[in-house]
Amino acid sequence: MSALVADTLTLLRRELIRYRRDRAYWIGQIVFPLAIVGFIGFGLDAVVALPSGTRYVEHLATGVLALLVGSGAVGGGFSLIEDRESGFLRALLIAPVSRTSIVLGKLVARMLASLVLVGVLVGILAAFTPVRIAHAGALVLAVGGITAIFVGMGVALAARLRRLESFRLIAALVTVPLYLFSGIFYPLSTLPAPTRWISYANPLTYGADLLRYGLLDVHEIGVATSCGMLIVLTAAAVGLAITAFDRGMRT
Amino acid sequence: MRGLVKRYGEREALCGLDLLVPRGSFFGLLGPNGAGKTTTIGVLTTLVQPTAGTARLFGWDVQADRGLVRAAVGVVFQEASLDPELTAREQLDLYARLYHIEARRSRVEEILALVGLGADADRPTRQFSGGMKRRLEIGRGLLHRPRVLFLDEPTLGLDVAARARIWEHLRALHAAGDTTIFLTTHSMEEADALCEQLAIVDGGRVVAAGAPDALKAALGGDVVRIALERPDSARERLARVEGVREVAQEPGTAFRVTVQDGPRRLAGLIECVRSCGVLEVTLHRPSLEHVFLHHTGARFEARDA
Repeated sequence: MSALVADTLTLLRRELIRYRRDRAYWIGQIVFPLAIVGFIGFGLDAVVALPSGTRYVEHLATGVLALLVGSGAVGGGFSLIEDRESGFLRALLIAPVSRTSIVLGKLVARMLASLVLVGVLVGILAAFTPVRIAHAGALVLAVGGITAIFVGMGVALAARLRRLESFRLIAALVTVPLYLFSGIFYPLSTLPAPTRWISYANPLTYGADLLRYGLLDVHEIGVATSCGMLIVLTAAAVGLAITAFDRGMRT
Repeated sequence: MRGLVKRYGEREALCGLDLLVPRGSFFGLLGPNGAGKTTTIGVLTTLVQPTAGTARLFGWDVQADRGLVRAAVGVVFQEASLDPELTAREQLDLYARLYHIEARRSRVEEILALVGLGADADRPTRQFSGGMKRRLEIGRGLLHRPRVLFLDEPTLGLDVAARARIWEHLRALHAAGDTTIFLTTHSMEEADALCEQLAIVDGGRVVAAGAPDALKAALGGDVVRIALERPDSARERLARVEGVREVAQEPGTAFRVTVQDGPRRLAGLIECVRSCGVLEVTLHRPSLEHVFLHHTGARFEARDA
């Protein structure tokens, strides 16, 4: 058990070194959401009125953060394929390290990177939108939960695929519908009923709603429901990732 | 290893491989591309699950006792297995932590000095040359003082100087202690220069095994090639010379004479065919290449055809 924790921390350290050095990643992840909020958010803000009374730019800003955390986390799978292509993974697999540590190292590193990213973006957005930290606990759970769910899906996918191109394609095929049906761009209450039901089956819906609660103090789904769903889905995603990885590495 | 079989779909990479590697030896697995060398290392290092057969390392089963085996082996892969973004020191530190090595820092510095990368320790390895990467991988393989070091084609694609340097490291390592070194190669020169014991594999099977000198001697001696103006009855005359085992005529008027103790018989051989007009004489001492081709040559040609 203690070896599991120690090895996870060692691998977490390696991932964090990589994140710290990856300047392009940080620039992209910070500029992209600001550009969306700036051009689309403020543009539509003047013509769209939301039933809840929330300004559209606030809705979109928080939604884009959820999108960013999710799409970034799928990259956890991406980095696994990179590790395979560089050969690094092979050296890791013959070391006396449990497969679980390898997955957990990636997951926790991505959670920390997501939290830092959201923190920086909230700081910037706070300067020109009403976005601020209203409920820190809910915010952390939302970011952590979305990250875990998408890392889980990414790793499960990456464990089965050998090529970067196939991963990109299939990951997009799986995740884009999740983004579209999650209330990121429009509140659920403005959607037609069948679409809304699809959204309720979408894990990202709960993460995005809780994130909005954490930043704007508004929500469409009960806070307790969202928290519960995220905790259950996080556990399921981590389990899925570990099993899929373990199975995928046997040759 | 007993009766190892590994199937990848229809293809059989190993078909009943038997091998015994003495503890503490410098062992070479020699074979053409696709003979099953890398798969063998995969099985021995727990990365590849055999379809059938068993492999034991110091009495541990490579499947049942994976944890023990992993802690006892170091591996240098054929292809790079480094994180390109991490520096040399960071990579070694990472593995020192994963192998739970005591006195981590000093061991990392020791290894950096051993493989001569002290000056480049803080550069990310994506900037390294092929030789530097290979040295770092060897360093990583040795970090936890493994009881067996596996090297899969350790000098493939390196220039002569880098190769000589790696040979030197390996010789020093073998001389220094009781680490068993197991390397695969398709370079006869490398096998001859380094290994005490060899096994030649082809088509997923061991086709010959033993010390390099014994393998060479088993071929039956030296080969003298004599080209003549008029072959006449040269064949019969050559066969009567003492020590001659076999005389084969090449297309044309040249003969290949297999003879024991070639250098001493050379004068006698030339003397007996003097009247046939000797054009050219060459003496070939058996090299591992002959051994290799003798055991794998036919299959080689069949595959290329």
